[in-house]
Amino acid sequence: MKTLTILFILFTTIFADDYKYHTKKVEITNQLYLEECASCHMAYQSQFLPKRSWNKMMDNLATHFGVDATFTKEDEKTIREYLLNNASDSTNGYGYYSKFARSISSMDTPIAISEIPKFKREHREIPKRFISQKGVKTISNCIACHKDAKKGLYKERNIFIPNYGRWDD
Amino acid sequence: MKILLISLLMLNISFASVVEEYLNTLKQEVQKEKADFKGFDKKRGEEIFTSKHIGKKGKEISCTSCHGIDLTKPNQNFFTGKTIEPLSRKTNPERFTKLKTIKKWLRRNFNDVYNREGTALEKGDVLTYILSKE
Repeated sequence: MKTLTILFILFTTIFADDYKYHTKKVEITNQLYLEECASCHMAYQSQFLPKRSWNKMMDNLATHFGVDATFTKEDEKTIREYLLNNASDSTNGYGYYSKFARSISSMDTPIAISEIPKFKREHREIPKRFISQKGVKTISNCIACHKDAKKGLYKERNIFIPNYGRWDD
Repeated sequence: MKILLISLLMLNISFASVVEEYLNTLKQEVQKEKADFKGFDKKRGEEIFTSKHIGKKGKEISCTSCHGIDLTKPNQNFFTGKTIEPLSRKTNPERFTKLKTIKKWLRRNFNDVYNREGTALEKGDVLTYILSKE
């Protein structure tokens, strides 16, 4: 019993640490970024893409995935700075964020996280109907299935697909 | 007496809401071109808000595609599925309180639905329509 208790405590601390580790590192606290970038979609973690990707995106806000996402000059500058400071190649890299970033060829400059090779591999088994269904709509709607995506947690145990349930590889 | 009147007038101006002040600015802009301009019209605004157009993304959409018809209720972004809070100030008091935000979304959304930035007249009309739906 005693060993069990010790094991239990050990496991919960390990997982709690893992949880805190990820959320703390990728937690988005920049209020302007949250306000400006999360009005049409989830505030994606900037650690998914390298600096060259964020620069390319910020240079083309007039046609941001087909819509106008232009800012005032000052806001654009502040948000660009935030993204560059927190890009995959500005940080030391950790967990799956670094795996995603490492899968990007140095010749490529993706502007969608869903274009990242590792992202595509991770999602290739998901049937199209789960994505096109109401409530999900698009593969870029992370939060529809990754219940803790806002906190930066994309682990399997946090996945719940609407009208399907838990997803296990 | 004169001073009192002037100060009352000033007070009145400062009490006008952000969106009312902006509507006044738009009105003055329209009057520069059309001296006999009477005022914005919610009927014209309704047409702007509900009619469909091939938007920036090449799809036929209207303002209602994302904002819905009942402006007191939240709706979903047509492309991303994200919830958009109501435009009505009655159910969403945050709306139309910041000039910067009003200008930003009018500019962006005209581009998205009409593939061009709206004129002062169109912006005034559509704002008048939205405010009349509360």
